[in-house]
Amino acid sequence: MTGAPGLDIRLPIGGLFTVLGLLVGGYGLATSADAVRYAPSLGVNINLWWGLVMLAFGVLLLAAATHTRRRASARPAVETAEGSATEEREHRLGLER
Amino acid sequence: MAPAPVAQLSPIDYAIMGVYFAAVLGVGWGLRRLTRTSTDFFLSGRSLPPWITGLAFISANLGAQEVIGMGASGAKYGIATSHFYWVGAIPAMVFVGLFMMPFYYGSRARSVPEYLRLRFDEKTRTLNAVSFAVMTVFSSGVSMYAMGKLLNLLLGWSFDVSVLVAAAIVLAYVLLGGLTSAIYNEVLQFFLIVFGFAPLVALGLYAVGGWHGLSSRLAEVATARGLPAGAYTHTWSTLGDATQNPIGVEWFGLVMGLGFVLSFGYWCTDFLVVQRAMAADSMTAARRTPLIAAVPKMLFPFLVILPGMIALVLGAGHEGAAAGQGLVPAKLAAGGGPLLDGAGRVVLDYDLATPMMLVRLFPSGMLGLGLTALLASFMSGMAGNVTAFNTVWTYDIYQSHIRRGASDTHYLWMGRVATVAGVALAVAAAYVAGAFNNIMDLLQLVFAFVNAPLFATFALGMFWRRTTGHGAFAGLLAGTAAAAIHHGLTLPAGVAPGVKGGYLGVLHTFPSELAQTFWTAIVAWVTCFVVTILVSLATRPRPADELRGLVYSLTPRPSDRGLPLLARPWVLAAAVLVLTLALNLVFF
Repeated sequence: MTGAPGLDIRLPIGGLFTVLGLLVGGYGLATSADAVRYAPSLGVNINLWWGLVMLAFGVLLLAAATHTRRRASARPAVETAEGSATEEREHRLGLER
Repeated sequence: MAPAPVAQLSPIDYAIMGVYFAAVLGVGWGLRRLTRTSTDFFLSGRSLPPWITGLAFISANLGAQEVIGMGASGAKYGIATSHFYWVGAIPAMVFVGLFMMPFYYGSRARSVPEYLRLRFDEKTRTLNAVSFAVMTVFSSGVSMYAMGKLLNLLLGWSFDVSVLVAAAIVLAYVLLGGLTSAIYNEVLQFFLIVFGFAPLVALGLYAVGGWHGLSSRLAEVATARGLPAGAYTHTWSTLGDATQNPIGVEWFGLVMGLGFVLSFGYWCTDFLVVQRAMAADSMTAARRTPLIAAVPKMLFPFLVILPGMIALVLGAGHEGAAAGQGLVPAKLAAGGGPLLDGAGRVVLDYDLATPMMLVRLFPSGMLGLGLTALLASFMSGMAGNVTAFNTVWTYDIYQSHIRRGASDTHYLWMGRVATVAGVALAVAAAYVAGAFNNIMDLLQLVFAFVNAPLFATFALGMFWRRTTGHGAFAGLLAGTAAAAIHHGLTLPAGVAPGVKGGYLGVLHTFPSELAQTFWTAIVAWVTCFVVTILVSLATRPRPADELRGLVYSLTPRPSDRGLPLLARPWVLAAAVLVLTLALNLVFF
């Protein structure tokens, strides 16, 4: 489980970092020729590189959240005997997400 | 004339802040339908998994005092500041998870003061509830004041507008989603701090030639200040003598005062953090909350202390007449020149160490992100205080003294009213706050008076069934009084009697303010411990039947059977302690 029933916490966090990654990374890309701008950060285009890292993190969280949601909407696990047995086992083992 | 702002923001920086504000309000909006009962509003319906409550557990503590204060302390004391984490947090977090959570969560108390009601009596609960409520408002105000001042100095923003806008946003999302909203935003803030500060530390270390370069530059600073060369880069080796380390504390005062009394008093009894664990979805999840939190907590020194240390030496060499040190500027005297202390040395404005790092190393873009991370920590620190305040007010003061037996809808309504009132009081406190150099020192002082005796009460209450309500109450009062008396009779070196102590006469002078704070805490704790035992022995204990689930010897141990090895609290705790020990040894 990943949040209060009703809102998976990975959605807002993933969404925020995706947008931040695009903004910061895009800005880095647009300003990549500007050496003076990146002099304080020791010549590293920190916007571009860190933007990409944030984008990857955001997309990963969003993908994980949608994956869980799709699986959950396909068929609620508890509705079948096998499913509820799996849930029970996962709960016991602490594997559920 | 106001001084020119230190940094100019670009549209991209404002865009990043805007996205963050939209996200926090969006979270509140997304959760608005999920807060139907008071349990939803105050305790997230006890429905959250441990990794979320765990990250919220440390984030709630990661307010202004942490990010700015720890950077300031890093510049002031060096890597030894990590004692606030490795000694002053982790052991207590392990203890609360393993031993105390079974009572907090298991008793179904809705707040820490309510546990005191169940274990002791109404007066002990009320004493704790009132002092806690006052403290949350106060620290929230301090945090807001710091934010307003900083944004004004750095960006030239209006103090009033910064404080009011931040307060309005926090108010909106707490009103909408209650504790869940606060917790979600704390987790979000956790990631923002990590993503905002990790590249800052990386760039900073790169600029000074890595840890090795940092060590050799700090060795020069230490020698110039008359300390051993390793004073800023070692945690323990200079703690034998209070005059040989920048903190001005010897190891016993540090371990007992910070590591035991203050740390356990905060992490084990402060409802602000314990509330996060109470929102967990099961007993095991509640117990794992502080243990999971301990893992990032032990790594935070690298994120929040290192920037301060780096700031002290970065760009060193061209110290002009403005005479700061490295990136840390001097405090300004009334005339506009640098402020000098009694010995004629320049007084540094340590609280600017971390913000100056952001401004000097980050280009626009990342600067927006770094400032947003700071803003997030200010705001979620405030939200943490507000959610703890509204719960304690509603359950422990309003429901138990003003209006009993009303409907749940009524208490939910009261919680919302308390949220508005809490934010308004905090804003008022923000205007009152100020005057201390280092926010951390001030907060530690407040903890020393009110929180220091607390852990003695809880420890006796949970582990000695003979403890009585009268004993607990008398002990708390005596402990707080002892703290005030001790503080009033002692003084840190080089300070005139007044708010920093010595108001009852000076019997002893400590080498530093922190040393005084730690010893004040020790005195308060011992007094509370002894008085509680004596009064308990003289009063009638409650029958064992009434104490089931509230006292260690009368409560069945929670079983970890069936859990995978790594999810068991004991295993997690052992791993956390071994890693913390290793960190202490590496930076010995």
